[in-house]
Amino acid sequence: MNSAISVRHLTKDFRIGIRGLKLRAVDDLSLEIPRGQVYGLLGPNGCGKSTTLKVVLGLVSATAGEISILGEPSATSAARRRTGFLPEAPYFHKFLTGRELVRYCAQLSGVAASELDAAVEDALGLAAMNEAAGRPIGTYSKGMLQRIGFAQAVVHDPELIILDEPTAGVDPVGSASIGRMIHAMRDKGKTVVLCSHLLGQVEQVCDRVAIMDRGKLVLEGAVEDVLSRRDRHVMTIESMTPAARAAAEAALEAHGAKITSITHPRRSLEDLFRELVTGSRDA
Amino acid sequence: MKDSLRRTLWISRVTFLEAVRQRFFAFLLVLSAAMVLSSVSLRVFDFGHGELKFIADFGFGGMFFFGSVLAVVMTAQLFFSEIDNKTALTLLAKPLSRPEFLLGKFFGAWAVLGVFVLVLASLQGVVLWAREQELVAAAEQAGRIPTTFSVVGLCQLVLLQWLRLGVVIAIVLAISSLARTFLFTVVVGSLAVVAGQLQWIAQDAFLRPTDSPVYAAFLWVSTRLIPNLQQFNLADALVLGSSVVEEGALISVGFSGLAYLVAYLTLGSLIFRRREI
Repeated sequence: MNSAISVRHLTKDFRIGIRGLKLRAVDDLSLEIPRGQVYGLLGPNGCGKSTTLKVVLGLVSATAGEISILGEPSATSAARRRTGFLPEAPYFHKFLTGRELVRYCAQLSGVAASELDAAVEDALGLAAMNEAAGRPIGTYSKGMLQRIGFAQAVVHDPELIILDEPTAGVDPVGSASIGRMIHAMRDKGKTVVLCSHLLGQVEQVCDRVAIMDRGKLVLEGAVEDVLSRRDRHVMTIESMTPAARAAAEAALEAHGAKITSITHPRRSLEDLFRELVTGSRDA
Repeated sequence: MKDSLRRTLWISRVTFLEAVRQRFFAFLLVLSAAMVLSSVSLRVFDFGHGELKFIADFGFGGMFFFGSVLAVVMTAQLFFSEIDNKTALTLLAKPLSRPEFLLGKFFGAWAVLGVFVLVLASLQGVVLWAREQELVAAAEQAGRIPTTFSVVGLCQLVLLQWLRLGVVIAIVLAISSLARTFLFTVVVGSLAVVAGQLQWIAQDAFLRPTDSPVYAAFLWVSTRLIPNLQQFNLADALVLGSSVVEEGALISVGFSGLAYLVAYLTLGSLIFRRREI
């Protein structure tokens, strides 16, 4: 009952062509996604991660297996009421304004009329879309579309938020903004499941990850556990002279340790980009 | 139940807004309106049937034809735009059931067709009234009995046409829920409308005795599966009073239309429930 999503032995086959050839998209997948964490579902294109999310959301039926969301069968509307979803490359009715879209989604999600205005403004504020909310969606940039998509996904205050490729096609500034929204959700105690192949970003925002390949789960665990090499250590040293380096090497050797590489620390290109274009938004 | 109706209403509202913004809707509305208005200048070609009848036939003919085209193409377009653009993914991931989604689409499209029929019928009414005034004055001078038209009959016809287009929308939605492409839906939907217009032929054939049980079974299935869309074309009788229409007959046509509408929507919902998006 502590799982936000429980997937047991999920298999999904698609029938293709007139002869109905079987294509197995997900193969006996079992996952337990804990509550209150940011969970990354990773894998190359066509590995079955989007199909898994669609089955979880009841948009596609499972060939075999059982799925529950927050303890309830995933296909029920009760489960969907507690879930928010941002699809990959979201497309919304262009003639609606951002505020109208979020309001429309809040109404469909069952937000009470008395709470509607506050819920819509909260969601727009969280996605930093208040200023552009009065504009038609047709005038939005890609980053703004993702942000308004995020707002519609969280407007009904769901316990579980599922994001399919939330930063695909978004520039690093927009991407960082979406990362902040994800962290804000986790700080509120929500569970966020995101599906991506942008590994750098997943590493920054996720607590746990699962890696899929050809429909199967190949690795699952906490990000720290799966990435750390416990037998290696990194030290960052300031003002190291050749004499200091020789002394350090000798001291370590005396204890049976050995320096295998010494490099200069680098910042990532993404960090540099964000630093240079700080404050610029894609509004 | 209340929540379900509310969700259906929200879907239909957005569907309506989307549809009335389409250029296709505006184009067909203008074309049909032009046809109604042009009937006045073309009345010299009345083939001896009387001017009002010609004006009514020409105008209502445009309404029937373009209304059917609009019902088939627009409904298919509204359905497939949601599927192809993946807005359906966002909506159906919410606590919105698939029958609610389909019903929302239906009522949105039906409301648009309601506007279409109402605008054209109003225009048709004005054209008939204007010509009727001239004909009445001329008949009084000549000492003849003037030809008139019935406003009540026109209102009844508007309701019947709206119901007929509702049946077409329901059929197209049932096809859409099964079909994979917009083109397939439009082609099959159009064929269904043509079959509905010709259904009376199968009905006549069914009433005639036959030795072939297969042929009889085929006719029995056809006459029940395909609605008789001709039964809604009562313009002459209702508007021009060329024959008497009993109230019971009108109610029977209304119930028949509603029964087909509900049956096709139910079928569409059952198919759409299993569709993978």
